[in-house]
Amino acid sequence: MRSKFLMCLLVVCFMFSVNAFCMEFKHHEVYKITDDMGAEEIMGVSTFNKYTKFAYDYESTGYVHLIEQSGSTRQRTFLRRRIILGDKTTKIDYKDVTSFTAPTSVKGLGILSWTYMTYGQDPDQWLWIPSLKKIRKVSAAQGDDSFLGSDFTTEEVTTRKVEDETYKLLRKEKFTGYTSSFNNKTYYKGADCFVIEATPIKSPWYYSKRIVWVDKLTGGDIYEEIFDANGNKYKYIFKEYQIKNVDGRDYSVQTHLEVEDLRSNHKTVIEIKDIKFDQGLKDSDFSERILQRSKW
Amino acid sequence: MKRIVLFIIAVFMVLGVTVNTYAQMDQALVYEALRTVLPFEKLEMAGYLKNETSLRMAHGLDEFMKFKNEVNFQANYSIKDNVDFFTTIRWFHDGLYSLEEARYTSIDSKEKNRKLKVPEKMLWLRDCFVDIYTDRLDIRAGKQQVVWGTADGIRILDIINPLDYREWTLPNYSDIRIPLWMLNVEGELLADGHLQLLLIPDYQANYYGPAGGPFTLRTVDVGAKSISSLPPFVTTTTISERPKRNFENTKIGLRWRNVIGAGYAQGLEYTLNYYHGYDFASAAYTSVKIVPGGYFKLTRRAEGIDVFGGTFSKTITSGAFGVPELFKGWTIRGEYAFIKNGAMNYGTDANIEGTVDVDQFNYVLGFDKNFWTNWLFSFQFIQMNAKETEKFDKNQYVLLNGATRGPLGDQETTLSLKISTDFMHERVKPEVLILHTVGSERSDRDWRISPKVSFEVNDRWQIAAGAHIFEGEEQLLSGQFDKNDQVFFETKYSF
Repeated sequence: MRSKFLMCLLVVCFMFSVNAFCMEFKHHEVYKITDDMGAEEIMGVSTFNKYTKFAYDYESTGYVHLIEQSGSTRQRTFLRRRIILGDKTTKIDYKDVTSFTAPTSVKGLGILSWTYMTYGQDPDQWLWIPSLKKIRKVSAAQGDDSFLGSDFTTEEVTTRKVEDETYKLLRKEKFTGYTSSFNNKTYYKGADCFVIEATPIKSPWYYSKRIVWVDKLTGGDIYEEIFDANGNKYKYIFKEYQIKNVDGRDYSVQTHLEVEDLRSNHKTVIEIKDIKFDQGLKDSDFSERILQRSKW
Repeated sequence: MKRIVLFIIAVFMVLGVTVNTYAQMDQALVYEALRTVLPFEKLEMAGYLKNETSLRMAHGLDEFMKFKNEVNFQANYSIKDNVDFFTTIRWFHDGLYSLEEARYTSIDSKEKNRKLKVPEKMLWLRDCFVDIYTDRLDIRAGKQQVVWGTADGIRILDIINPLDYREWTLPNYSDIRIPLWMLNVEGELLADGHLQLLLIPDYQANYYGPAGGPFTLRTVDVGAKSISSLPPFVTTTTISERPKRNFENTKIGLRWRNVIGAGYAQGLEYTLNYYHGYDFASAAYTSVKIVPGGYFKLTRRAEGIDVFGGTFSKTITSGAFGVPELFKGWTIRGEYAFIKNGAMNYGTDANIEGTVDVDQFNYVLGFDKNFWTNWLFSFQFIQMNAKETEKFDKNQYVLLNGATRGPLGDQETTLSLKISTDFMHERVKPEVLILHTVGSERSDRDWRISPKVSFEVNDRWQIAAGAHIFEGEEQLLSGQFDKNDQVFFETKYSF
């Protein structure tokens, strides 16, 4: 009993120490990766970019392709809007509204999320469910749950924070390139990358480690290999980042994502289009009133 | 006989296999055809074609309970950037009454056509409204549904629209709510605080299936039997007293909704609700004189009611009572309604003696949590309390349940549990709903279990199969359908 208590105490202390080592990022600032950065700082920039925290607001349309081994494909289209707050009083990091526009079976489904800066705090989420015609407060999906039926987990797309893992810089190298089976394009061949090993603090967890290639130019985690508890690679994720110049500031943003589960050979491709930044969205655009405007 | 079932299952499986290939070839066949007919740039359309077939389990699955084909069409026309017109049209034909003509002879053929075979009057028009959006105010004017409350599968504060009870409450509530013409205005007073005002000049009573129908409420069947047993020399009259459509009878709804943005209760959502209107379940007043030249007069009156209610919901996002991780991931929901000046019948089982005014206090507490990655458990504790405000002889009579005309306890407690999950990248979605009434020896035997599995063949086609199993005495809510255990199959094409 006592040893268990001590173990818990150690874990809590470790979590706080991880927090303390993290570089302080200010919302609405643009950060670049430099050669002198350590693994945690590099992953800090990468995570900051992933959630577009450099911007004031963000909007995009996502086209999701769920591809079976047989080649049969199902699709989802969603509109995502985000306001980045970084509010020190409310501790709200950002608010998201995601609305599905296709296919008809999910059309109208809407999710409002409040994501918090506090480590260990789950997001608050509200769901507009067309078949019920009402808004329901829902518990955030568990981190290892599939994100919208894709090969991504919820944690990979929406909830992972820098504090969730420890990092080790393995090497710097030129990326060998990723050739997509979806569009036959080759991405990032010869790009300067930092190769980082990420180990989850939670154990046991659905993966034992990730090897992540972070592109120096965009600061994006462009490729990662994910390993199960036995140390076998079971999944890879590719992400294309592009630099968009907004009012003289270079924003690094995801535009194309691919993931394949090597056990089932099921793939997910997400194309992100019509990206807009800093349109002047307001906090009140992320309320239940807006969510229930959905009619479908 | 069983050949019917085998045939349906075979059709179902063939559909599952072949539609995939077919729909991959031409995903948007219907949509493209509609686009050709309605080539308006600002018009957005969607809809579905659906077949619902169900079979009674009691007679060796040789009896259809539903063979319903449904078409649903939705359209949104954007008049301006912030002004939309939206409509939903839904039409169905239930072939059951042709397939089972010999079996449903007790239902008057006019009633079959009017209430069960096709939609009556304007019931096919599900939505027809104009939306006007501004920064601080949203206005929705027209025929619509408005849903208050946080409860699933039970109505506590969901009182704005009446219900179509032809299939009991087995379909989704959004499919059986009867839309009303109303003005719905919601204004932003705080960033996450909104005041809603409803002005509802329209009135519709709840819609019940005719006596003898598969899911007709026991109260309707019992009433029809009583009337048919009257001697021929008694004149029968039924009068429906409905509020006239005038300004004075306009129903009013008010809701204040707020989400607390900071502090200990951050993320707590609550509403305060008030409704002044008419009960959709009309109170029945009877007067009878059984002598030659006598009469039986039944008056159905929509009683004026006032409802005071509220809801709350909160997800434990980091811990509770200052303890990190305690109850993390649980969502707690609650909803209550105090209904003043309602009316209920009293009497003995199946026999109405009179009508008295009652106040009701109903509430639900709900607890939701995901376990084992993606198994959602949703539990609800529901209590309904009725207290008469007029005197009647309680030694001889009891209050009667409006749906079954069985004795109603002062307090009725129901528990519900819904478990749902998904497999194969959300392609296969199994779920089960269990409803159980508790509180007395008799009500403890009242159950409903509804398992269902749906399968997304592709973006257009979905199929589902399931069952509804009822258990209990006929005076109770689920028990009244004890002989109606059924299996069902659904096939849906969306466009």
